[in-house]
Amino acid sequence: MAHELSPPEQWLNLYGDILYRYGFARVRDAAVAEDLVQETLLAALKARARYTGKASEQTWMIGILKHKMVDYFRKAGRENTREFDDRLTGDENNDFFDSQGHWQGDVSSWCSPDNLLQQEQFFDALQACIERLPPRLAQLFIMRELDGMGNDEICRLLSIATLNNFWVMMSRARLQLRHCLDLNWFNR
Amino acid sequence: MLTCKEATQLASKGMDENLTGRERVALWLHLAMCRLCRRYVRNIKKLHAVMQKAGAAGQALLPDSVKLSGKSRERIGQVLDGALQQGKKSRRKKN
Repeated sequence: MAHELSPPEQWLNLYGDILYRYGFARVRDAAVAEDLVQETLLAALKARARYTGKASEQTWMIGILKHKMVDYFRKAGRENTREFDDRLTGDENNDFFDSQGHWQGDVSSWCSPDNLLQQEQFFDALQACIERLPPRLAQLFIMRELDGMGNDEICRLLSIATLNNFWVMMSRARLQLRHCLDLNWFNR
Repeated sequence: MLTCKEATQLASKGMDENLTGRERVALWLHLAMCRLCRRYVRNIKKLHAVMQKAGAAGQALLPDSVKLSGKSRERIGQVLDGALQQGKKSRRKKN
């Protein structure tokens, strides 16, 4: 069944928050996410004659937002004249290993959250922990784990210089998240 | 012999990429002897599974409080209205 578009006057109410949350989760910057909502709705307005109704209105809008996000990341990458030095991202503040490379603290074993309440608590903690990651690590982690994007694609989008940096950063993100979840979820 | 630091990095890499035979063996040897790293690997795999599920369900993993602010909603509304009026005008001109 073909989908139909709702009147553009209603779009902001219907999709404003959905688009904002989708964008914010990935760009991690409120002002940028707001601009992306505006650009997406304007682009949708221009493109609405070409809407074929194959995808739902919301999927169609998010598709436009994804294009706008790619543009944003490209531009941000170009404007950043200095190459990102990702080798050190987060390393200074937070070392989980001693000088010999052994664990500094304990690593607890997690049980799976098995009822709904526990799952909700887990998600709350996970959200809070993702918030606390350095923005680039959060972007990277969300693109890889939530969106399932490919390694090369992520490196291009985020201007990560080498695949090796990508692996180091992913590992950093996982180390920090696991540590944060240990403190905020498991040990409660 | 890998250190724990190296082992965690290799385990993480192994979730995003196929490891070489040599890397796999080195990681396996370390994990066979290191309880903390075994736990670590189990935990990040659980994390991976949770994230995949959330992604498939379209969850943004943000608190409910993350929303467009009233101010920006107003601004975007005005810009959209302007564009809509503009569109109507230019259509009238064509007719």
